[in-house]
This record gives sequence, structure tokens and C-alpha cells, in this order.
Amino acid sequence: METPGPAPTAEGDTLPLLSGQVVPPGSALPPPEPPEADGAAPQPAGRAWRFVYRPRWVAWHLFAFAVALGMLWLGDWQYRRALGGNGLSWAYTFEWPLFAGFALVFWARTIRDEYRQRRHGGLSETELGRRAAAALSLAALPEGAMLPAGELPAGMTVRELQLSLRAAQEAAYDDADDPELARYNAHLAKLNARERRKALGAGKDRIL
Amino acid sequence: MRGAVLRYRVMAYITGVLIIVICFVGLPLQFAAHNNWIDQWLGTVHGYLYIVYVIFAYLLSRKLKMRTWPTVLLLLAGTIPVLTFLVERWMTRTYIAPALADDAAGAAQQPVSR
Repeated sequence: METPGPAPTAEGDTLPLLSGQVVPPGSALPPPEPPEADGAAPQPAGRAWRFVYRPRWVAWHLFAFAVALGMLWLGDWQYRRALGGNGLSWAYTFEWPLFAGFALVFWARTIRDEYRQRRHGGLSETELGRRAAAALSLAALPEGAMLPAGELPAGMTVRELQLSLRAAQEAAYDDADDPELARYNAHLAKLNARERRKALGAGKDRIL
Repeated sequence: MRGAVLRYRVMAYITGVLIIVICFVGLPLQFAAHNNWIDQWLGTVHGYLYIVYVIFAYLLSRKLKMRTWPTVLLLLAGTIPVLTFLVERWMTRTYIAPALADDAAGAAQQPVSR
């Protein structure tokens, strides 16, 4: 289902509005933020798969299969040594195929992760549903219902509204008398800055 | 989260110590005294404990949402002497400590939220 929910940010970085918080009265709304980089936006299934043909990913596929084949070859070498009378080689004969299998599982999961990232912006189905429901219920509210009168400009998107609410809440939240809370908020701000940098760099196709 | 971290740390120290014994005791013994008992048997033991290490380290890397190459480094750390301990410290600094702090802060934050 295509949802009118907000463009996803990092998982766990939930918008304050979705946890039942309201904007403090009297705080000014900042201007809406520019849209995020394309890489962070969810894509349809067909397009989301296309990354597997990109040169960096092809190199990754070749590397993964070379590693797995190398491990199988090592297993075969240990098998021949074991047949030659080296008893301890039996242990490694069974170990190398296990590692080869693990390498392939690891490779497959990097592809699945990247697909999910592109398809859903890295969010789980549950989180997507939760955000969509929250955004829908917000959009269904009569204008200004949750906010002090006149604070929600007409024509503002839900995304812009939520970003604004978050910014306003952050601005109004006084953590000066609670060092632990201040540390937590500083940590959140750092994580947020990192995600923004990541979103800016997400246009480049990369494995790392 | 704490369980996954503990399982990873226990296996990191076991494989880390084993590989140091193999490389810095076993190899000199093999070449100086032509005694390869330590290398052969501890090598096999390390090989199988390394499988357990790989499993726990991989599960932890999924929990911490680590990217591909840091995860590869984490998994290979169990095979290179001393690197196991360096990587364990790096993991704690870069991934584990922030994640645990997040968990604790999240729990502490719950009653505060309005």
C-alpha cells in the first residue's frame, strides 16, 4: 500500500507527534524543510531491485562467489589431506563448507537489506503501518484541532507539519536542569545530524 | 541487547586468547622444538569455536545495524592474533556503548515524555 506517511528517517527516530506529544503553545513554526535526497525515498518494487546490476554490486556478487568458491576449494584440499592420512584434516573438511555457506548467507542478506532500504526507506512493515495510521489520523483532523488557533498554515503537508512540530518541541524543551536528559538530547541531535549527512550522501550507490 | 553483547564478548575473548596461544606459543614450539601438538589440537578447537564466534558476532552486527565492511572486519577479527581484542574495543566504543546508552536513555525517557 502506498502511504501518504512522512518520508522515513532512521528507524527508532520517531517523530514526537507520533508518541502523543503536542506542540507547546506560543512557539513559532519554522519554515518547512527541503525534501530529502532521492535515495532515502521508498521506491516501487521493480525499481528497488535495480541496484543489483550496478557495477559496485556486481563486483560485490563476484567477490562473494569467489570467496565462497575459495572456501569450498579449501574444504576439498583438506578432504584430500584427510584421505592422505592427516586425521585432523577431517575437522576442517566439514568446517570450510560451513564457512562457504555462511559467506553466501551473508551476501544474500546484504542484498535483502539494501532492497528493503530502497523499498521502504529501511523501515519495518509495522513501523510503516504505524506511521501511515498516525499521518492519516492527523490529516483527518479539522485544521488547527490539536494546535493553538492559527498556528497551522493552510496547505501545509503532514510531513511539513510533523517536522515543524518536532523542531518547535525541541526548541521549547528545556533540559538545562537535568544533565542526563541534556546528554540524551545531545545524543539524539548527533544521531539526527548523522542521518541527515547520510541522506545527503545516499544519492551515491554504495555497499558500505 | 545485553545478552547478545555478552555472548559476543565471551566468544571474542575465548577465540582471541586461543589464537594468541596458537601463534605465540604453538608456532615457536613447532619450529623450535618440532612439537606441533598445540598447533594441531588448539587449531582445531579454535576452528570450531570460531564458528560459534561468527554466529554470535553476526547476530550482534544485525542488532546494531552495522554496515557490510565493518561486519566483515568484525567476523574476520576472530582469525587474526591481537586484532580480536582491538576490534572488541572498537566495537564497544563505536557501536555497543551508544546502543546501550540509547536503550538506557529510552527507558529513562519513558515517564518523562508529556
